[in-house]
Order: sequence, then structure tokens, then C-alpha cells
Amino acid sequence: MWKRWISKGGLERRRALWGWVFVTPALIYFGLFSFYPIANAIRMSFFKKNLLSLAAPRFIGLKNYLYLFNSPSFWNSLKASAIFTGGTFALLVVVSLVLAVFITSRKRFQKIMQMAYFSPAIVSSVVAASIWLLIFDPRGIGNQWVNLIMNTPGVDHRWLASAVMLRLSTILVYFWKYVGYFTIIYIAGISSIPVTLIEAARIDGATAWQKFWHITFPLLRPTTLLVSVVSMIQCLRTFSTQYMFTQAGAPRGPIDVITLSVYNTAIRDYRIGRASALSIILLLIMLFLSWIQFRVSKSEDVSYV
Amino acid sequence: MPQSRAHRIPKRFRGRSRLATALITLVLIAVALYILAPLIFMFTASLMPAKDVMKMPYPWIPRSFHWQNYWQAIRGNDGSFIFPRNILNSLIVATSITLSTVLLASMTGYGLAKFEFKGRKLVFMMIIATMMVPFQAIMIPLYLIVTDIGLQDTYLGLIAPFLVNAFGVFLMRQYLLTFPDEMLDAARIDGAGEFQIFWRLIIPNSWPAIATLAILTFRSQWDNLIWPLLIVQSEEMKTIPLYITRFASEKYTDEGAMMAVAAIASLPIAILFIFLAKYFVGGAKLFAARKG
Repeated sequence: MWKRWISKGGLERRRALWGWVFVTPALIYFGLFSFYPIANAIRMSFFKKNLLSLAAPRFIGLKNYLYLFNSPSFWNSLKASAIFTGGTFALLVVVSLVLAVFITSRKRFQKIMQMAYFSPAIVSSVVAASIWLLIFDPRGIGNQWVNLIMNTPGVDHRWLASAVMLRLSTILVYFWKYVGYFTIIYIAGISSIPVTLIEAARIDGATAWQKFWHITFPLLRPTTLLVSVVSMIQCLRTFSTQYMFTQAGAPRGPIDVITLSVYNTAIRDYRIGRASALSIILLLIMLFLSWIQFRVSKSEDVSYV
Repeated sequence: MPQSRAHRIPKRFRGRSRLATALITLVLIAVALYILAPLIFMFTASLMPAKDVMKMPYPWIPRSFHWQNYWQAIRGNDGSFIFPRNILNSLIVATSITLSTVLLASMTGYGLAKFEFKGRKLVFMMIIATMMVPFQAIMIPLYLIVTDIGLQDTYLGLIAPFLVNAFGVFLMRQYLLTFPDEMLDAARIDGAGEFQIFWRLIIPNSWPAIATLAILTFRSQWDNLIWPLLIVQSEEMKTIPLYITRFASEKYTDEGAMMAVAAIASLPIAILFIFLAKYFVGGAKLFAARKG
């Protein structure tokens, strides 16, 4: 038998070798298409480089960053991203939690409800934006429904024109597309809570609100944390909605999120170095958020005992 | 806005009053309307002439089926029939990326889950770290690489940055960690080669994870706008999201035809969703199971 003449050490070495065989192709790929570009983006953020000019990039130290910190349009982008992310994330967390609690409280139609809420998953974000552009048209159903509910016939709410409404519009589109996804995450979280805990509370005479506030909600903290960070990071990556809206003629200022600004700085203005600096700042913000998640989740391990 | 009514006291459990039940049902239905209305709007508007789409109030039910919208969507405003070609491009790109992601992610996941070697942890951590990096942070260097090797405006250029992703590796590794070692050892004793084991044993037995990964990958590529926006120059190489942005910004675009374009673009994912919905949700469930 071959096993007999390969010593134990030899077999282990052989297995280790096969491990590398399976891992290496992806590792090389990640090196070329992730690590090298990250390093290059960091490097380029210290250089002045024009996309169209053939001149060698010129080292300018921190000047790209200094320029950004002194530029109103950078702060505007940061503000636009913060408003979009904050607004969408708050809506997503609160509403998807409430929906999940409501859905799991029902005896029937749970699956159908979940599927209905999740159904915007079938449209891409570009398609979603093109649908909502028509809904937000002055003659569209956005105005029609809001006027019906608020009893204000004939008012145009300027969804795509006024700064506040434009921001709200992009938030509504994003919220619409992802609320079902986060609802399902919450439902998974709720269904992992032992029924015995809730039964015990019921026998002790707790009201529904008490049961939610003192049992369900605290035990869902890891899920809430996960939903918060995932949704925040996802919102920071948004691009298509804002791009489509500005293409359709909406003013860029209020929705000039960082990603849109990176794109425009690099492709419209050809300023590669500055765009790289901007994208590094975006990366740092996201790393910071992930770090918070990591830190908090370490101290937040729930035990059901 | 219907969803703002959702801030009621949640009554999760049995024994609540009739009123509370009714309110919960009402909220759930109101939100369902808000969620479904835009999809229904897309579908019904795609069958209406433009003057009906923009009629106040919106009619919701097409008076007659205005199939011309679909014809115009395919034909294009300029009659160039570029949309079918763009659909084909999207299919080629998304399918190739899906295949390569599934193959590379399961290979890597298998290597990380079932083999002991020095540096395994480091490799895993390095790959996972790339999950934190937003595509927008590396797209400019990627753009420079791809244009440097002359791949702009080609399929290879569209595909290259997405051959595999960290999430896929993570998903496959987590799934394969639970794969019984005895089966692998039994196969080895039977004299199967390592590649054979991977191909004949691992791949066929990882179907749920592979389906989830394939669907998530295909869907995210179907939706990819920013990379094609950078890399594609000619109309022939455009993908669906680019065609939609162009069609939407053309001056005389008919609203009904616009929704027909949107409906056609959503068809493949809608079909996947109808038949394989549980794998769509699979990704979300996996996230929840990870628990922070």
C-alpha cells in the first residue's frame, strides 16, 4: 500500500501542496485585481495625473487631499452621502424590523408577504431608477398618491427639482429596493429566538409591547448591528440611482454622493490623482464602519441561556 | 407615504386584540402596495401608449395591449436594433463571470476548508479583507490596467475585474467546512485523484451554495453600470444598463417604450426569481446566520 511508504510527514506535505494548488489561482487573481489596484490607488492619490495627458504623473504629496479638504464640492459630496446613507439606513433598520415583527406575528401568508416585499430584487438598480423617474414625474403617480393621501389636489411636490425632495426621492428608491432584503434578515433573526423565552414571558403576563421591548428587541441586537452596518456600507456604494437621476436632468448638487463625484472627477474632469484621493477617503470611511461592526459584535455575542 | 404608518406598537404574539390584528394587517397591506405598485406600474405602462402612461390619474389597466412599445424598445429610437445585441452582451458577460466565479470560488473555498497548510489563515484573511474594499475605490487603477493592456471595449475587459470575489470564496468555504472528511478519505483510499475528488464529489454536493452564489453573482453583474460605463465606448459593446441610461436620456423617448425596455431587462432575473426564489433569499439568510 502506498500509505505505508509515505511517512506521516510526507502525507501531510502532500496534502498541504494540494491545498496550495486549489488556492493559488484565486490568490494570484486577488493580487492582480484587488491588492495591486488598492496599492496603486493609494500611490496615485499622492500624484497629479491627468487622464488624457501623456506627461508622467507628478508627485505632489498630500496636495490632492488638501485640495479636497478646502473644496466646497468635496464637503457637499460628503454631506450628500451622509444624508443619503443616514436617511436610508434609518428607514431600512426601523421599517424592516417592524415589518419582520408584524409578519412573524401572522399565522398565515408569511411566505407570500416576504416574497412580495422582496420582489423589487428582480429589477436592477438602473431599471428601478427608470421606473421611479416616471413615478416622480410632475404628472406621475408620486404626486397623485401623495395628493390623494394628504388631500392636496393638484400640487406638484417637485420630486426631482427641489433639493430636499430630490434627496428624499433617492432615499425612497433605495429604501424600496432593499427593505424586503433586510426584512428577511430580521425574520431569520427572530426565528432563531427560542420560543420558550417568549412563552415564559407570556405566562408571566407580559404585554405584547413588553415582550417585544424586553425580549425580542434585545435579542435581535446582533441582527440590528449587522443590518445597520451592511445597509450603511451598501448605501455608501450607491451610484446608479444618483447617476440616472442626474442624467435625467435632476440637479447634481444635492445628490452628488462620493461615488458619483469619484466618477465625474476621473472621467469628466480627467483628474486621476484627485479622484484616487477621493476614493481612498471613501475606503477609509467604509473601513471605519466595518471596524466598528467588528468591535461591537465582539462584545455583543448573545447567549440564550 | 404608507410606510410611515408602520410605527405602531408591535404586537408579536397571540392573544392580541382584534383591533391590533386589523391594524397590523392594514400596515402590511399598505407597505405591500408601496412595494408592488412600481413593479405593476412598469408592467402595465409597458403596454400603454405614452399619453395613457402620463394620464392623471394613472389608469393602471391598459385599455388595449399596445405591443408597439416592445417593438420600439427592441428597435431603438433610431431604428438601429442595437438593444438585442446589448442584451446578448449582458448575457455573455454575466454568464462568463458567473461561471468563473463559481469555479474559482469553490476551488479556493475547498482548498481553505479541507486542506491544512501553513499560511492558510493568512490567505483566508487576505481574501476576506478585499470584501471591505468598495469597487469605486479601485475602479480607476483597474481602468488604467485594463486600458493599458488594450482591453477597453472588449468582453475580456468587461469580465476581467470580476472573475472571482471574496464573498464567493467565503460562502463556499463556510459551506464546505461541514463536508464530511470521511467521504474525502474514502475517495482517496479508492484511488481518486485530488482534482477528480473536487470535480466528482465536491462540486455535485455543493449545489445549494453554488446556486446561491451563481444567482447572486449573475444578478449583481446584470445590474453593473459603473464598470461598463468606464470601459465601453461603442454602441455594439454596451450592456443593458448602459442601453437603459441612453434610452432614458434620449429626448423623444416614449414613456411606454421606456417601461418596455425596463420590463425586457428585468425578464431573466424575474424568471430566476420565480423558479429559484429560495436561493435569492439564501444570501440574506447566510448573512443572518453569520450573526455579526
